[in-house]
Amino acid sequence: MIVLLSHYGWRRVFAAALAGSGALLLGIVLPMVIRPAQAERRSTNEDFVNYASPLELLFSPDGSRLYVLCQQSQQVRVLDASSFALIKNIAVGGVPRGIALSSKGDRLYVTNSWDDTVSAIDTGALDVVATWHVGAEPSGIVADPNAAHLFVANRVSDDVAVLNAQTGEEEKRLAGGRGTSYLTLAPDGGKIYATHIYPNPSSRRTGLENRTAPESEISVIDAKRATVMDRIPLHSIAGVFHLAFSRDGRLGVVVEYHPKNLVPLAHLEHGGAFAYTITLFGTMVGKPVEVPLDELDRYASQPFGVAISYDSSRMYITLGGSDAVLAIDVRRLLNFVNARPRPASGSYAADLSASSNYVIARIPVGHNPRGLALSADGRRLLVANRLDDTISVIDTNTLRVSATVELNRQEPVNVLRRGEQTFYSAHYSFQGQIGCSSCHIDSTFDGLTWDLEPDGFGVDIVDNRLLEDLRGTEPFKWNGGNPNIPTECGPRTEKYFWRSENYDDLTLSDLTVYVRTMRLRPNRWRLPNGELTAAQERGKAIFERSVDRFGKPITVENQCSYCHSGPKGTSQKSFDVGTRKATDESGLFDTPQLANVAMTAPYLHDGSARTMEEIWTIFNPADKHGRTNDLTKDELNDLVEYLRTR
Amino acid sequence: MNSISRAVMIAITLSALQPVGALAEQRKVAAGADFGDYIVTAAPIYKQLAELRGEERFPAGARLLLVHNGKSEPLVPEFAASVDADVSFDGLWVMFAGKKNAGDPWQIWEVNLQDRKVRSVVATKTDAVRPLYLPGGRLVWAQRTANGFELESTEDARRREAPALNPTAGPGITPLTYIRGNAFPTGVLRDGRIMFEAGFPFDAAATPEIYLVYADGSGVESYRCDHGRGRWGARQLASGDVVFTHGSELGRFSSPFAHESQIAAPAAQYAGSVAETVAGAWLLSTRQAGQSHYAINLWNPKPVSGAQIAKLVPVLAVTGVDLVDPVLVGTRARPNRHPSGLHPWNYANLLALDARISRDGTLRETPAEVRVEVQDANGRAAVAGKAPVEQDGSFYVRVPGDRPIRFSLLDKKGIVLRQERGWFWARGGEQRYCTGCHAGPERGSENRVPAVLMRSTTPTDLTDLKMILSPTRGGQ
Repeated sequence: MIVLLSHYGWRRVFAAALAGSGALLLGIVLPMVIRPAQAERRSTNEDFVNYASPLELLFSPDGSRLYVLCQQSQQVRVLDASSFALIKNIAVGGVPRGIALSSKGDRLYVTNSWDDTVSAIDTGALDVVATWHVGAEPSGIVADPNAAHLFVANRVSDDVAVLNAQTGEEEKRLAGGRGTSYLTLAPDGGKIYATHIYPNPSSRRTGLENRTAPESEISVIDAKRATVMDRIPLHSIAGVFHLAFSRDGRLGVVVEYHPKNLVPLAHLEHGGAFAYTITLFGTMVGKPVEVPLDELDRYASQPFGVAISYDSSRMYITLGGSDAVLAIDVRRLLNFVNARPRPASGSYAADLSASSNYVIARIPVGHNPRGLALSADGRRLLVANRLDDTISVIDTNTLRVSATVELNRQEPVNVLRRGEQTFYSAHYSFQGQIGCSSCHIDSTFDGLTWDLEPDGFGVDIVDNRLLEDLRGTEPFKWNGGNPNIPTECGPRTEKYFWRSENYDDLTLSDLTVYVRTMRLRPNRWRLPNGELTAAQERGKAIFERSVDRFGKPITVENQCSYCHSGPKGTSQKSFDVGTRKATDESGLFDTPQLANVAMTAPYLHDGSARTMEEIWTIFNPADKHGRTNDLTKDELNDLVEYLRTR
Repeated sequence: MNSISRAVMIAITLSALQPVGALAEQRKVAAGADFGDYIVTAAPIYKQLAELRGEERFPAGARLLLVHNGKSEPLVPEFAASVDADVSFDGLWVMFAGKKNAGDPWQIWEVNLQDRKVRSVVATKTDAVRPLYLPGGRLVWAQRTANGFELESTEDARRREAPALNPTAGPGITPLTYIRGNAFPTGVLRDGRIMFEAGFPFDAAATPEIYLVYADGSGVESYRCDHGRGRWGARQLASGDVVFTHGSELGRFSSPFAHESQIAAPAAQYAGSVAETVAGAWLLSTRQAGQSHYAINLWNPKPVSGAQIAKLVPVLAVTGVDLVDPVLVGTRARPNRHPSGLHPWNYANLLALDARISRDGTLRETPAEVRVEVQDANGRAAVAGKAPVEQDGSFYVRVPGDRPIRFSLLDKKGIVLRQERGWFWARGGEQRYCTGCHAGPERGSENRVPAVLMRSTTPTDLTDLKMILSPTRGGQ
């Protein structure tokens, strides 16, 4: 049921509907329910609820329809763009993440990230007319203006697939950044810009990769030739999301996280854990320049979506962790970056007072705002509030929420949803700087190593780990110090991460349930029938072997399958595998689970191994991390192939 | 004036503290503004900022008045003097500093607003003033010590069988400030930090300034570093902004700005903190030029139209009496509790990411060493030791906790390149980094491993008490 909510009451809704859509629409809009946008409805029934979880929004070319990509209900909801009345629900594939229209608007494409497919929807019939296979975890998608190709960002295979737009046949893959996720077509249609959510691995070995600032990039693709033509470096950035252009294409902007993982996480004030920033590029700014969104006492946590108004006067950014939308005056922003000598680094990220020069409003919206869309007349900005199934309608003149469209009025808020809201919220941390999802992007990880304070400065550097399928992998932390999730997420998090009062016990329980029930994403290295390839079979044998290639017995504790035992690949015990560094207080480390280990680089407790191969080729000289020095290169490759199937 | 004659004077003066004469009209003017009950401090003499100089703010005594429907009455009539009201988050209790007898030191008490029963919260042999409720059942106040007024904190004694005795020496008391000088809490921010006022620089008491400290005494810093005219009476608004006064003007700290913003307010002398009503208006203690006493006024900070500002609306005045420190009675948002992460050490580890960075200008020359000084028991500077400064400007030192310390940056010849203007402290068990030396809160950290941590993760130990006992030699 679609319900139009208003902060100004029934009469205004009635008047707006009448003025905007004609009296005929009223019958569709009704019944309306007026409630405060943020009112919380707690359920007593904790059964599974199929929430909509709107993630992305898209207007049809004529502006009459709104396509809402609903991630959890796995649908595209087609709404009347004026009344928000439901026209049709279209079922798509698993965990849809990206949405795009063909240049003519006759096809709507949806990426199904856990099915590794693209759904092609006929926008006349509003039916799925084709489903095409693509790479691992397709995310962002765009269609080129000539209707020749579709470009699909594959998050797990770190590339951009180029599909024939008519047949869906994959023609080639283009290398993207690690965790390639979002694509934007330049206004002239000539280029496609790809971003990625995990930092790129260091291209050469220095021995200090885990103590070096992360690097990301914008991959620039020639849309006609389907080749990568440029890579715009984003220094010190890990976590790059949507990108937008001014209508004339002279100004580009991308939203991003600027972590402080190399500085001891001793406190949060003064941007202690993150700066949340945008990088501007294009002819309006010359060399790319990074500017912050944060303030001295309040942070713009987890920016995700971005749009520039058609007259290029305003920029809008959704803040997934702050439950708000930022409005930026573009003229003032350009004046800020162009009217003074820039820092040599090209970054103002360390200046927490910079945003006072260009941020003009911070507009509260619903939980975890993500995608946004400007109406054709530019008067309305629509924001998808993923975790309360609503769309905020922002009046771009007043910069206030004028109405809230509710997609699932009947659904109560259950334990899982409350837990997920908590996971993605920055409200519990000091000055709203970080939430769980700041480091566990989309409930995964961030590819970074952090210097946590309790152990001392520069001591016990730790790699961030994937959260999926945690049940049965306790204890937590690399030193095995936390016996369960409530301990991990409760007192420890309050004291050493949030640095502020934590959630109450009920909320902690909700969060715990959510974290414990995170599903394991499909493993892309297994064959569809579940069998192993010949190389994987050989690797499995190595993993389980008890004698080395010379026929000598391998002690039990030095066999891979001893520590990495059981279905999750962990004995849940700590061992010394010879990886202790001078800065580590102990050589005993918790055995990490192997679930989806292929996608969780870097490796080892401190992230010092860039690849799985390096675990053994560099960091296992004495065979303390399993007997591996007897293996040939091919055998080691087989072992890695097998591990990728875990 | 001896204590008996002072008590008589207080009694005579306070007997006239009922609203009189023209006040009836003033209340009528303000009748449209429904902000409920409030409490003010009434005193024949109010010496603004006297406490920062170690003097008495109310030398002729003072009394808290509860104003209900425009009528005022003493909040705790059985007390010879009462000041510094703070209403509990649930709106049911008022904590205050009071003297049962005129000759008593100021002590901390709490009165129940329903039955008016009073209980002792903190009983000491010296003055204890400016109590504030903290989340988590704690409170903070200013305690007179040999070093001046210091902030102290403890659990609310409501749950104790007996009131805390001599808290400076008693168990369960946490001193929050460790400087020689006077410091007074003025409010608790929603993020849990305590705002307090003291002289800038610390110990010099030259200019009143607003500082912040966590509820465990760690993380002390200036609210902003655009030091200039004196600021006091800071109070946080619902918007998160902090409003304070310079005496003749009001100023504001807002989250986006590294510097204060002026508030276009009516020309007047402002006595101190504002009390924000639910509707967003402010209760203020002001007096006009030529007037000798402060009265309570209501003011709407939103411009009437364009640049035209609203006028002050008289609310309460008493002839011959200053009315100051208005506090609204009612529920209010509880600030966040600060989860202390202090380690069980008597020292602190301090890391400078780049000591060259400062609001005063970045040093072109990388310092060779940092010298750490500690104030000894007599207030004299003593050198705790020196530590190397790396090429990237970083240094890492272990310093004595809970003592006044300060840094000086030295060149290769030992000449001071830059020195902190005042003293500060780090709590025992505190681990903290600073971006630069007086870099200001607007300066965030760069994401890089400081060179000093690449060399060693063990801080240079400057906690040798033998060294600290040596007085500073030579110039600074």
